[in-house]
Amino acid sequence: MASISTPSKMRLAQLAQLSAKIFNNIYNPTGERTGNKILRKRLIGSTVTEWYPKRIITLRKITDTFPDMKLINQEEKLRLEEIAKRKKRGKGAPKKGQGKRASLGTKKKK
Amino acid sequence: MHFRILSQARVRRDIKTRETVSATELIRQAYRYITRNEQVHPRIRQQAQLMLNAFPSHARPTTIRNRCTETGRARGIFRDSRLCRYQFRLKALNGEIPGVKKAVW
Repeated sequence: MASISTPSKMRLAQLAQLSAKIFNNIYNPTGERTGNKILRKRLIGSTVTEWYPKRIITLRKITDTFPDMKLINQEEKLRLEEIAKRKKRGKGAPKKGQGKRASLGTKKKK
Repeated sequence: MHFRILSQARVRRDIKTRETVSATELIRQAYRYITRNEQVHPRIRQQAQLMLNAFPSHARPTTIRNRCTETGRARGIFRDSRLCRYQFRLKALNGEIPGVKKAVW
């Protein structure tokens, strides 16, 4: 009977190579970094962009596409009314060049 | 859902970041693969690293910040409901979050 001896290193390497070939694995004895773990990662773009709610339809779009319906944007209407009221009392926004900062500039120039 | 948070500068910045990440993700991963691959010639790896550095800073996924979809708060966010802890509490008590119940014992 032949005595059982451990196979040489070269033979073991050959075995590993062959096994990798059979089982469709990558033969990488030195443990070289191949960057495969980056390719293995899932792409996150599509999930990441849908975190915040998206405004798909706005009232402006509806009023623009259906002008016959005569829809009123209540918020906008209230805002405009408020501005008109303030203007009446003389508390409206100043005209361009009449504001605080603009008048400061002219004073400095003088 | 409140769309008022969409007018917040930090939320808009985050939205922009997310869009940039999504748009540049594929090409960035390709460059990353080249830089991390030791079987590629060092010079090519270095060039890929330079290309990576040339991307804007908000192309990196780590710059994404999960913010509350109600208030825009950046801390104490539950990922499942996308809400900060206080908004989560309010909504849960109001019965607006399915499957959440206040514990009583």
